[in-house]
Amino acid sequence: MILEATNLGWSARGAPILSSVDLSVKEGETLGLVGPNGSGKSTLLKLLAGIRTPSSGEIRLKGRALAAMPRREAAQLIAFLEQQAETTEAITVRDAVELGRTPWLTPLQPWSEEDDRIVAQALADADMQGFERRSWATLSGGERQRVHLARALAQRPQILLLDEPTNHLDVQHQLSLLELVTTLPITTVVALHDLNQALSCDRVGVLAGGRLVALGAPEDVLTVERVGSVFGIRASIVIDPTDGTRLFRFHPVR
Amino acid sequence: MSLAFARQTHISRLGRGILGFAALGAAILAGMCIGETPIPVGVVLQTLANKIFGATYVLDPIEMGIVWNYRLPRTIVAACCGSGLAISGMVLQSLLRNALADPYLLGISAGASTGAVMVTVAGLGAGAISMSLGAFAGAVAAFLLVAVLARAAGGGVTLHGTGQIVLAGIAGSQLFNALTSFIITKSANAEQARGIMFWLLGNLSGARWPDVWLAVPIAVLGLMACIWHARALDAFAFGSESAASLGVPVRTVQVALIGVTALVTAVMVSIVGSIGFVGLVIPHAARFLVGVRHGRLGPTTALIGAAFLIAADVLSRTIIKGQVLPIGVITALVGAPAFAVILIRGRRAR
Repeated sequence: MILEATNLGWSARGAPILSSVDLSVKEGETLGLVGPNGSGKSTLLKLLAGIRTPSSGEIRLKGRALAAMPRREAAQLIAFLEQQAETTEAITVRDAVELGRTPWLTPLQPWSEEDDRIVAQALADADMQGFERRSWATLSGGERQRVHLARALAQRPQILLLDEPTNHLDVQHQLSLLELVTTLPITTVVALHDLNQALSCDRVGVLAGGRLVALGAPEDVLTVERVGSVFGIRASIVIDPTDGTRLFRFHPVR
Repeated sequence: MSLAFARQTHISRLGRGILGFAALGAAILAGMCIGETPIPVGVVLQTLANKIFGATYVLDPIEMGIVWNYRLPRTIVAACCGSGLAISGMVLQSLLRNALADPYLLGISAGASTGAVMVTVAGLGAGAISMSLGAFAGAVAAFLLVAVLARAAGGGVTLHGTGQIVLAGIAGSQLFNALTSFIITKSANAEQARGIMFWLLGNLSGARWPDVWLAVPIAVLGLMACIWHARALDAFAFGSESAASLGVPVRTVQVALIGVTALVTAVMVSIVGSIGFVGLVIPHAARFLVGVRHGRLGPTTALIGAAFLIAADVLSRTIIKGQVLPIGVITALVGAPAFAVILIRGRRAR
């Protein structure tokens, strides 16, 4: 287990947002998190990233307590792609991606050619080459999201935590992001809204009301009944005649 | 335009450093030559040679005294204050992600004036403590009050609530400004009130060598802290949670940098009074020139701040014959239009 949470809980001003979550992330897998708005997906990811302190429970990263680990060391292992991280600074794409090297640099270990190479690779992986000089303010929502992805990749993490990374992306870039994430030889935990995208993960966890209500292989976890009850809808499954893939369709409850 | 400029002109880091020091040296030299009694560059350089290297040029002792005892310490203190205040403003703007942040945001200037007024007008300490010491104590007291208030409001210098410290700073400043007015109205005579007014707007004419030995290390400390934490400051561009996920120990960095900022500002204000405008505007001017990365921005901000305050000081003693203007008046009168030009040109360039 590369990342392990036991009895994890977090509350804001006394109101529990997340409670008693037990989750083990296996090395190399892509774990999808689904659940309605406010079910605690973002909170769980922030706790796993170590940027919020749990109210209860513990997280172990490669067997070590995350809370006791220096931030810098944790950031060399885990990269976190937030939702809606914005700036008003006149920062360029290149500047933003270079930030990903922060955990690897100190005043005594300055920027090197290796860092240049890693940043160039990250820009290429996120399909943002040629945008290096562009200012943040001139980017579209999807381009900003891809810059954030490049920044997370430039961190060269072993674990990538992504909070709804396909937001703002056009279909082509949604597909290429998910393909990149599943082919990278690293562990990924990704919160997703699109249940059909979640079907392609190795395992899926379903969150509802701040609890992890199901965890397992997508076809076992994402059943018509569970999806219906968790999201308050009626779901049905259709089969794509071209390749036999299962797909969800959703209908309002009558 | 800014970053492109820095990247296209391939001057090495060392070269830029040397260029910066040369510019600073030139500004200090100008600060020593220009004044009510203009003193030729040669005389200034010979004075420095006599005093520093024990040379034996024969010079007018009065001119030598003006250069060595008055203008040189005054100019050095001006440079230190300019760079210290500008760096403090830059750090707070980056840390709090607020373009309007300036070193006086933390209530320091208001507290310093209350402390100064308590000593000079209300007679606290019965003459045993100087106005500078009173100002420093007031500045520290005000900052502590603001920090405690911000913390009690649930933010403090923590991960989530950077808004609280801004609000607490405003409340603290108002309180201490009211206290200052109260003391002045209650006990000061017209002459004292005028003196206090003058001090509040900043005044370098009292700067002597002991002030230099205090101002230089503090200004260097401010710059060093900023350079040491340059990458951490960069990482705050997308907020404190993003900085945390990039491996920055957010709380430690915030406490350390806000602490250093408070110390630098309190010391500078206690030496020269509260000079407005520098801490707010110089960092923005520097961003237009070299971009937002703190490795370059920090030294540039310090340099521009130093040169700007030396120039403002020279103007303050030459613009009206036989009279010294408060330097705060000059910084705002000259700085505001200059900044407007930078703003407009910067917008066009984008």
